[in-house]
Amino acid sequence: MTSLTSNGKALTIKKTFSRETAVSIDIQADKSIIWALLINASDYPRWNSTVISIEGIITKGGKIQLKSTLDPKRVFKLLVKEFDADNKLVWGDTMGKRVYTLLSVGNGLTNFTMNEKIGGPIFPLFAKMIPPFDKSFEQFASDLKKEAETIGNAK
Amino acid sequence: MTIEQLTNEFELARPQLKSYILRITASIEDTEDIVQDSFIKASQKIDRFRGDSSIKTWIFTIASNLAKDNLRAKKRWTENVNDICRSKALTDPNYFPELMQIQHTSPHGQFEVKEHITFCLACISKSLPLEQQICILLKEVHEFKVSEIAQILDTSEAMAKYYLHEGRAKMISIFDGRCALINKEGACHQCSELNGIFNPKQNFETEKNKIEMAKVSDKGDKEHLLDLRLQIVRETDPFSSNGSELQLHHLEYNRRAMENYPEKN
Repeated sequence: MTSLTSNGKALTIKKTFSRETAVSIDIQADKSIIWALLINASDYPRWNSTVISIEGIITKGGKIQLKSTLDPKRVFKLLVKEFDADNKLVWGDTMGKRVYTLLSVGNGLTNFTMNEKIGGPIFPLFAKMIPPFDKSFEQFASDLKKEAETIGNAK
Repeated sequence: MTIEQLTNEFELARPQLKSYILRITASIEDTEDIVQDSFIKASQKIDRFRGDSSIKTWIFTIASNLAKDNLRAKKRWTENVNDICRSKALTDPNYFPELMQIQHTSPHGQFEVKEHITFCLACISKSLPLEQQICILLKEVHEFKVSEIAQILDTSEAMAKYYLHEGRAKMISIFDGRCALINKEGACHQCSELNGIFNPKQNFETEKNKIEMAKVSDKGDKEHLLDLRLQIVRETDPFSSNGSELQLHHLEYNRRAMENYPEKN
């Protein structure tokens, strides 16, 4: 997604048949700490205020059930589609996919990017029913940064 | 390194190593075996020691690997371990007579609340994933550096920090929700119950006020409360404290109860 900067601010691009939201932030922590936070399903509610629960195991081919504060009554049944340790994690369903990317950028900094694209031929019919992701994405990135940096700074 | 050097270092590390392995396995017999096997393995591998770590770290690495092998097929405990074992003990006609016998005949049979706190932490820590339990014991009880823990666990320092952080967060949450010493609403009063049985003339409130963790519990710093709890554990050798025999019996009882839980038919 173009024009995305690593300032923790989300950016959404709306098209007729899709909507794509992304956020990027630099985190002063080792990639493996951030990766550990991203793949430990049961630990999410402790540090991530946008997640109510994630059940299942986040591993390649794993099926997870996610409850988000965005829509607390819904349970999103998702499949882990890519699992490249310390680098890239992708989960999604038939409607769309969420991509997490980690990139070392030097001086102990890791760039974290989260991107979700939803869409399809019937997307215009229900587009208005899907709440905006921007605030939730920004909160996710902020929570992840705070938690990873707390762990990274521990003596 | 010569075998004499190894033997000297091993004997220096032995008391700490025994406490560490006991808290991981909750089994006196397994602890004795693992500590002995660690020495044998270290002796056999003495030529491979390159000095990349201290001898003590190397010994703890060998022992940790043996403990992990020992626990591989065993399930982790649950955070309500003390409730489960209490229920079992209350219906077991032998439980209290055995403890009373130890109290009356053993020089290490006194009941002290502080020692029960260390027993309790050993039980609760077994509900954490093993890596988290190992990290907490090594860092907070045996005072290894994160870099040394990473060597012992054969992982990165970052992951060791993560295990430590998550383990601490879980312990704080469990104790905050359960322990009546620090939370008036806490469901577990086992230390005061047992103190009433073993020391009927003592005033529990007086005993409680001798414990810094209980005294400052209303100040709300949960990280600090865990640090104070871990300080008590650091100061207690489970094999030689005033009530070690009583608490070891209790720990063995819990281990057997948890190995059979849910009850096998």
